[in-house]
Amino acid sequence: MVSFFRLILVFLVIGCSNNILGQSENEMVLVTGGSFIPLYGTDSATVVVRDFKMDIYPVTNNDYLEFVKKYPKWKKSKIIRLFSEESYLVKWEDDVTLGINFLPISPVTNVSWFSAKSYCECQGKRLPTVDEWEYAAMADEKLPDARILPEYNQKILTWYEAPKTFENPIGSTFKNYWGIYDLHGLVWEWTLDFNSVLISGESRKDVDKDTNLFCGSAAVGASDLMNYAAFMRYALRGSIKANYTGRNLGFRCVKDVEVLE
Amino acid sequence: MKLNQRLSKMKALMLLIALTPLIALFSCVDNNEKKDYQNTADIPVSREMVAELTAPPHVPTPVGRRKAKKLIVNMEILEEVGEMTDGVKYTFWTFGGSVPGSFIRTRVGDEVEFHLKNHPDNKLPHNIDLHAVTGPGGGATSSFVAPGKEAQFSFKVLNPGLYVYHCATAPVGMHIANGMYGLILVEPEGGLPKVDKEYYIMQGDFYTKGETGERGLQPFDMKKAVAEDADYVVFNGKVGSLTGDNAITAKVGETVRLFVGNGGPNLVSSFHVIGEIFDKVNVEGGDLVNTNVQTTLIPVGGAAMVEFRVDVPGTFIIVDHAIFRAFNKGALGMLKVEGEEDLKIYSGMQEEGIYQPEGGGIQDMPAVEGADQAVASAKTLEEKMEYGKATYMQTCFACHQAEGQGIANAFPPLSKSDYLNANVNRAIDIILNGKTGEVVVNGVTYNSVMTRQDLTDEEIANVLTYVYNSWDNSKKEVTPAMVRSRRSAH
Amino acid sequence: MKALIKILVIALVITSCKNNKNTNIASDISPKEAVSNEILELSIFNLPSTWTTQDNVDIELKSLKGDILVMVMIYTTCKAACPRLVSDMRNIEAQIPKNNKGKVKLILVSIDPETDTPTRLKAFAKENNMESEQWLFLRSSIEMTREFAAVLAVNYKKISPMDFSHSNIISVFDTNGVMVHQQEGLGVDNKETVKTILDLAETN
Repeated sequence: MVSFFRLILVFLVIGCSNNILGQSENEMVLVTGGSFIPLYGTDSATVVVRDFKMDIYPVTNNDYLEFVKKYPKWKKSKIIRLFSEESYLVKWEDDVTLGINFLPISPVTNVSWFSAKSYCECQGKRLPTVDEWEYAAMADEKLPDARILPEYNQKILTWYEAPKTFENPIGSTFKNYWGIYDLHGLVWEWTLDFNSVLISGESRKDVDKDTNLFCGSAAVGASDLMNYAAFMRYALRGSIKANYTGRNLGFRCVKDVEVLE
Repeated sequence: MKLNQRLSKMKALMLLIALTPLIALFSCVDNNEKKDYQNTADIPVSREMVAELTAPPHVPTPVGRRKAKKLIVNMEILEEVGEMTDGVKYTFWTFGGSVPGSFIRTRVGDEVEFHLKNHPDNKLPHNIDLHAVTGPGGGATSSFVAPGKEAQFSFKVLNPGLYVYHCATAPVGMHIANGMYGLILVEPEGGLPKVDKEYYIMQGDFYTKGETGERGLQPFDMKKAVAEDADYVVFNGKVGSLTGDNAITAKVGETVRLFVGNGGPNLVSSFHVIGEIFDKVNVEGGDLVNTNVQTTLIPVGGAAMVEFRVDVPGTFIIVDHAIFRAFNKGALGMLKVEGEEDLKIYSGMQEEGIYQPEGGGIQDMPAVEGADQAVASAKTLEEKMEYGKATYMQTCFACHQAEGQGIANAFPPLSKSDYLNANVNRAIDIILNGKTGEVVVNGVTYNSVMTRQDLTDEEIANVLTYVYNSWDNSKKEVTPAMVRSRRSAH
Repeated sequence: MKALIKILVIALVITSCKNNKNTNIASDISPKEAVSNEILELSIFNLPSTWTTQDNVDIELKSLKGDILVMVMIYTTCKAACPRLVSDMRNIEAQIPKNNKGKVKLILVSIDPETDTPTRLKAFAKENNMESEQWLFLRSSIEMTREFAAVLAVNYKKISPMDFSHSNIISVFDTNGVMVHQQEGLGVDNKETVKTILDLAETN
């Protein structure tokens, strides 16, 4: 049964992909899989990530403009409310014009999870999982896992605090070990299973898992109490819903390696 | 102070006795509405009202005798760059655009409808935990709100007192360290006793990547925060928020009430007003009243209401009496009191002498020359610098600071100081006689007090030489003779 | 040949990306319902996912149109919260009067499609005495389940091979598939949920 669904997925992926393949294909790099301990992992703590390819840059305003031109149902006047709240592309001048406030090569923001997911699918890609994203993002320039370095956290926190970074062009932060830019310091990024973060009110009523990101209780079950940057990312994921959009929230896509070959 | 109070109490009592029949009459009329509710949860609300919110040091209008209402609070969260001290910027996360956040004033029985709005430009989700809320998370779980969203929840305030509110989103320490705290007051039925002036002061500690005073936009330093090694300990979110032109004020004879909170995240406050005694302290913001208190402890995540009558004019310095925080890290404020002197209460200096346990009585100061001879004289510039520095560290350092940088809005800088370099004799005069009132140093106006310094001619010569030959000053050398001639000029 | 493939590919792209979500809906709705198109924007019938029932029948969500839907997401091997959610659902069902029972579908959606096969769901229905017509058990692919949860604002995470942590939310949808009410928590007062369902039943 599982393989059947995989087949469907492959079919879907192939169906969409070749169309815009050219440009984006060049912009992915391989991230070699492995196991790691994310901030909020599983009961056994370690998470295994398989090889995948990731976009070098976040999706830009220009990329997204091309996408809505090709798939009009994602234009701001056309998108249905189930898939996004009113703030979708709110600052764009109209359906197909960015307006003067936007650099074409800045990351696109104010997009919902549904629209980001569809964008990736139509490129033959998908959104990264939280674990994949965290795995790729723990690298600095030199190390695949830089979380042990004392400066690493501080550097990221400093970026997170800097205001209005969503206005910056892609590539304005550093190139990491895998060859990926802007995982930190530009915008937050949607993940496929962002809603696997359990931190709202209901979870504390769950008799089994009293995990809650508020106050001290966020420390319960977290693997690394000093990883403030990760706390902030998980808190953000926990605060959003799939139809939300945010001025600081963009995305990039990934691709399974096996599908490719 | 005490006597006055007693008098006014007696007056009040007499007035009360005189008015009793009248009050009885009123209470008959009012009877249906004025019930004593055993349980404050039963207090009914009438009408809706949008809460007045104020930035520190101001507080909203007292509730007075108003009935419990449905109170709408609109609170906007802003992440924005502000000034920590001159030349030092910091990204503050705020409730209502100020640190501490807007003051919320309610009365017992109010039903608060809280609207928490997270500005779309903000990067982070936030929430609010109000210590005045009876309910899980103090509202935190119900108010968790993503950027560009608004969360709404309601609560009934059941217990009177002064309460802290703060953001409780992970990593909670960082949200608080960046300024996300404030006070919510719940007044009892009929309101707090009337006073003449009310102010809002909240202490907080800050952790920056650069050392204290290092210029530029300073990011939050997580390591220092975890080690509780603060770079700034300040009132109302920045150095100098309550000094100079920003000082809070009162007139002689007025009663002042301070709503004092402590956001932390780490350091408890030994809250003290130099030269005042708190007539009354609502300990920890609750019902327990202590009287005649010199210094009151404000726990992190706690508050206190302090009240005192100001009887004499002058500038009263507000400090965290963990004194290095006050002088080096910014925990310094001012209360300026205007009005008539009352020499009975405070005389000013009446007599000055030396104290010699062996000899009897107070003697006149011996001639300056005598003192000069008593200590070894500095001969070279090097020696002068050495001695001068020793004097500086003993006498001047606390206000003018180690690098002569002064303290913003309180004490002018001595480094690269145009005022200092312009006139040596004036500098000598100030040390000899003190200086009160406005001075303009490097384009900034300071208005505070320097007392006359009890130093010998040689000490003054040395310390001035040290100052003039440090921190890019004009490298003048001051001699004891120069000091002597200024001394005799008066 | 290449050109042919290209055409084929483009055709596929169009079907899979452009048409399969809201345009399908547009072609399906009758003229009468087209009037309320605005509301339908928020309908879960916009989701393209296909689901398999406990009777091993494949359905699309829009085939549920016309019924009041009460939905909860669970997994059958769950030992902690799910039995309580199931009992909450049963409790709600018990409060629907007989004459209105036909208008309401109570749906349990699996968050663990790998384990919860139709056979497993069927057995679960039997164990829990939920075999009457108004009970429906659904499973789909991992991806579709994630998307469905996103619409319901249900969060869940696999924390061990056998266990998930998850939100406890019961959602009520009107006959057009628009969410009208959510109840959060375990064993909470379901007065409002039941009232919402009964009100909907009155007007339909």
